[in-house]
Amino acid sequence: MGSWDGVLHLAVPVKNRLRLLRAELAWSQAELAEHLGVSRQTVNAIETGKYDPSLPLAFSLARTFKRQIEEIFEAEPIPT
Amino acid sequence: MTEQDPGQNPDPADAPVDPLFTHPASPFIRTEAPAPVAFASPPSPTPPTALYSTWITYRTQFEFGLAVLAYLMVLVGTVTVVQANPEAEWRYYIALIPVAPAGFVIWLFVKALGRLDELQKRIQMQAFGFSFGAAALITFGYGFLEGAGMPHLSWTYVLPLMALLWGAGTAFFTWRYR
Repeated sequence: MGSWDGVLHLAVPVKNRLRLLRAELAWSQAELAEHLGVSRQTVNAIETGKYDPSLPLAFSLARTFKRQIEEIFEAEPIPT
Repeated sequence: MTEQDPGQNPDPADAPVDPLFTHPASPFIRTEAPAPVAFASPPSPTPPTALYSTWITYRTQFEFGLAVLAYLMVLVGTVTVVQANPEAEWRYYIALIPVAPAGFVIWLFVKALGRLDELQKRIQMQAFGFSFGAAALITFGYGFLEGAGMPHLSWTYVLPLMALLWGAGTAFFTWRYR
């Protein structure tokens, strides 16, 4: 189903600006992972969009970068 | 009266100078903590690096290694005892003793799974699912082949097969999230 037909689409594609924000702080993936208490692979998977973090981890990211969650993660617009 | 009284207008140069250390360390004088530094350290651009000991970094490996070693030692001991007493009535109880350290290994395994982060848990869930399904497929398939005349294999091969498939599944799903 490629069009919005009133059905609730659970799998909303999500983009994020994690790599950009991490670059602003000049942190490596390993440093951010250590700060968040997750593996470096998890940080990489979130940055490449292969994995969407849980809400608690998203809040931890927001707190780390001192941003709102919406400033880090953005849902793709619903295809028309 | 031209001569001045030396006690009324003392020459500042003649005033006694306080020695540099007026209060040497004494148990009777209360000393104060040094005043805080006027300027705080600038915020560090990088997060503080935590120092992890070898035990914390390789905790899972150490625990598994020791538990498996205990299991192997108990296994060798019980097999030796059971083989030396093939007719004894209590041999069944002795033969079951290795189950205890094996159970400890499983407990450590479940604890180690709990320490994984959310993506690693997802990878493990997918790997276990793959291992379970693929092992079922292979054992059922070979069961049909046995019906057609292939030699019978012991069911003890099932667990190593599942472990092998679990390892392959972990490698594959880890690669997929790379």
